[in-house]
Amino acid sequence: MSKITLTIDGKSIQTEAGTSVMTAALANGIDIPHLCYHADLLPSGGCRLCMVQVEKHSKLEASCGLICQDGMAVETDNETLTNLRRDIIDLFVSDHPLNCVVCDKNGACDLQKYAYQYNIHETHYDFELSKTDYCADNPFIVWDHQYCIQCAQCVRVCDEIVGANAIDHAGRGFNSYVATPFDIPMAESDCVFCGSCVQVCPTAALLPRQKIGQGREWEMERIRTICGYCGVGCSVEYACKDGQIIYAQSYDNAPVNGSYLCVKGRFGWDFVNKPDRLTQPLIRKDLAYQLGLTDEPWQLPDKSVLQGKAKFDHYLPVSWGQATDIVADKIADTVQQYGPDAFGGLTSARCTNEENYIFQKFVRVAVGTNSVDHCARL
Amino acid sequence: MTNSIHEIRDADCIFITGSNTTEAHPVLSYEVIRAVKKGATLIVLDPRRIPIVKHATLHLQPKPGADIYLFLAMAHIIIRDGFLDEPFISQRTEDFALFEQSVKAMTPERAALETGIPAKQIEQAARLYAMGQRSFGSSIYEDSQTAPYRGHSTILYAMGITQRSNGTDLVHMLANLAMLGGHLGKPSTGVNPLRGQSNVQGACDLGGLPNVLPGYQPVTDAAKRKTVAEKWGLTDLPAQLGLTVVELTQAAETGQVKALWVMGENPMLSDPDVTHVESALRNLDFLVVQDIFLNETAQLAHVVLPAAASLEKDGSFTNTERRIQLLQPVVKPPGEALPDWQIIGAIAPKVEARLGHDRPDGYWDYGSSAQIMTEIAEVTPIYGGVSYERLVGQGLVWPCPTPDHLGTPILHVGQFSRGLGRFYPVELHLPAEQPDEEYPLILTTGRVLYHYHTGTMTRRSDGLDWIAPRGYVEVNPVDAEQIGLQDAGQVWIVSRRGKVRTQARVSDKVAAGVVFLSFHWKEAPANRLTQDFALDPIAKIPEYKACAVRLESTKRKGKKIKNSGAG
Ligand code: SF4
Ligand code: SF4
Ligand code: FES
Repeated sequence: MSKITLTIDGKSIQTEAGTSVMTAALANGIDIPHLCYHADLLPSGGCRLCMVQVEKHSKLEASCGLICQDGMAVETDNETLTNLRRDIIDLFVSDHPLNCVVCDKNGACDLQKYAYQYNIHETHYDFELSKTDYCADNPFIVWDHQYCIQCAQCVRVCDEIVGANAIDHAGRGFNSYVATPFDIPMAESDCVFCGSCVQVCPTAALLPRQKIGQGREWEMERIRTICGYCGVGCSVEYACKDGQIIYAQSYDNAPVNGSYLCVKGRFGWDFVNKPDRLTQPLIRKDLAYQLGLTDEPWQLPDKSVLQGKAKFDHYLPVSWGQATDIVADKIADTVQQYGPDAFGGLTSARCTNEENYIFQKFVRVAVGTNSVDHCARL
Repeated sequence: MTNSIHEIRDADCIFITGSNTTEAHPVLSYEVIRAVKKGATLIVLDPRRIPIVKHATLHLQPKPGADIYLFLAMAHIIIRDGFLDEPFISQRTEDFALFEQSVKAMTPERAALETGIPAKQIEQAARLYAMGQRSFGSSIYEDSQTAPYRGHSTILYAMGITQRSNGTDLVHMLANLAMLGGHLGKPSTGVNPLRGQSNVQGACDLGGLPNVLPGYQPVTDAAKRKTVAEKWGLTDLPAQLGLTVVELTQAAETGQVKALWVMGENPMLSDPDVTHVESALRNLDFLVVQDIFLNETAQLAHVVLPAAASLEKDGSFTNTERRIQLLQPVVKPPGEALPDWQIIGAIAPKVEARLGHDRPDGYWDYGSSAQIMTEIAEVTPIYGGVSYERLVGQGLVWPCPTPDHLGTPILHVGQFSRGLGRFYPVELHLPAEQPDEEYPLILTTGRVLYHYHTGTMTRRSDGLDWIAPRGYVEVNPVDAEQIGLQDAGQVWIVSRRGKVRTQARVSDKVAAGVVFLSFHWKEAPANRLTQDFALDPIAKIPEYKACAVRLESTKRKGKKIKNSGAG
């Protein structure tokens, strides 16, 4: 690929042929305001906030769609541009309620960011909402159309990255909005609830339902880890408050997944809080009786465990000390009586590398057999 | 995977077989979509019309198990029509002549006759893949811009290939195809298995297998075994191969195996023929299960130990592209639950003491996961250069043998690990259990988007359970008609092992003669039907992807399910 040189705000910049001015500017630390540009998506040129002045061009140009040319000289900030941007934001907020005080996007909203930056606190136009639908027909995503600024990032991400094509523009002009086909509920559309649209939405139009009313952005601590589901190994950023997860998202340049996740990674973490989590070591009542921990004899019913619910009353809680002693006794007895090959260990494709390592080391070193496996094949 | 996930977006041709990528590896499927949007061709070879077919240039839809005809015929065509990468074959491979012989007889016409797929389509697939032809746009790769204009093609496959009684052969066959087109050792190429679970790669890498020590060092290799033994302060380690999962349950049933420790697995739903598994587990003298929930396997355990979930601990996972990445604890484990490594660390010394093993003080006292990784690096050559400091940020892709090694995102560059790449002639082999009069349909199993494995976690997620509360079976309208079954009606699926009742989705996503059942739901345990008598002879993997069944009507109509699945 050939390199070309241009100047942006007087700074000489080298870039690959075919790069847009926006991309080149961002890569060089020059932040051109934008509401519809996204690095992974084709430019749509809808918001016009990214207009720049190019030497020898008679008109202002949208930098997100403007391809760099050798010798081009671009100015991203001057009075004309500032006035233009103020007017654009003014127009946006003539159709977007400035409910920032109670808004769940407060602190993470791009429109708010630019309104603040350009000091627009109310519209000079007649305020009129074009659309007021509030769609919460599923447990994952809340879609509040009054906050939509029609940047179409959601539509593009759903098409260009996810390939689901679940949503598109509907209606015309002022009354156009983003919708599922024929406004059917999201669950009946081709939506796969990956939440990528939520991830790229710059405003409060698309929000994770888990987040609504749960706190403001700046109150949340962010912790990044790896998704526990499939082998893709996406990075997930959890927003937490008071030791609880509020919602999950990805982040730009996550090593494997960039900004994207699937429904399980983004929305499927709430199992951790379920009341039927195991919280203490348990010993089954027949063994407890054998060991003299209870006086009541008991037997495991013959009914298959695939029928009916899990029964906690088949067990007695014990301390970690007791539990590990019992396990050690039983394993040691087996090895002494029948030899190491009468023991088997199943390690786990859901445990960490470190855990798998010491588990197999235990089986090989302490017990003395190679009978350790996991469900890689299953 | 031989190559990394990010490279897929720049491929010129993607060949997906035996992988329902959009549902089982959603975020990886986004890479495929990105490539297709830029002009890559996409070939999907799968018995079901899975969601990614929407984006495919070509969908070849054989009956479960009949794909082997197509692979052989594709190789035949590539050789016949000169789509070969001759320099690659002559410089980097051996046994080509032998292989050429083995596919001579499998003409596309014969494959067409056997599978019902038109010879033209098989020819098209062979050409697109071998030559890496795009549907529009030009390749980003310079070597593709000059004659013979061969693009970069990549193969993605998953359990649809490996969960077969000839799975090892099929994997060899995919490698054969890749070598024919020279699609190895370059970016956006390769033969790429998509691994199912978050750390299945790591569990294999670190010796959670009965035949190898950490880093795939065979237990039968005396020198390697001794080296590891010494690092562990011993003189030697057991040399005899251990039992695999399926063999372990079989041995539990016969009473050879008396005690089993299960950490974070649920063989009661994931193993084939679960009726057998249950009686085997009940037959054990002692079963200890360590998990986050009282899952079906735990309900048979004598002792249940509460473990921390991955969100509650540190450590590392290795993903399907061999990238080792760090976990961070996000929340605290509930009650007294502990990370698994701490539980093992508490039990191991007690077992050793009872067995009278003499170990230095603190032998099992690992202060942290990071400390375990330090030992892993010493014992495991492919992880030799790994440390927590180096994993921060992007992680590392193994092989990473030394502390200054940057990792290896692409395998087989310039040379295969064994030197020359070997062509393996592969025989025609059909699934062990073929349909007959009594069981006329072929059952194939798999995952759906909203659930994961045995559902222990996803079925406890409110949203996921809302959208996919029940299991279902996909039945072609032709087969449904036979028993008067309507969409959303209840149906029995009966195999030689047992029967399962569930709701039917009548749809042409499956071909006539084929039914699909997912295995996440204990109410409709697919693995009550699957068989465990025909394991792949080398990998010992059960044949989940094909067994014979029949449908029986229950005469019950049902209410339609909300969502039609992913797309
Ligand atoms: S959740 Fe995903 S599939 Fe659904 S509309 Fe948003 S981007 Fe599209
Ligand atoms: S977010 Fe989805 S695709 Fe990514 S690792 Fe988790 S389950 Fe896999
Ligand atoms: S960012 Fe360029 S027009 Fe919106």
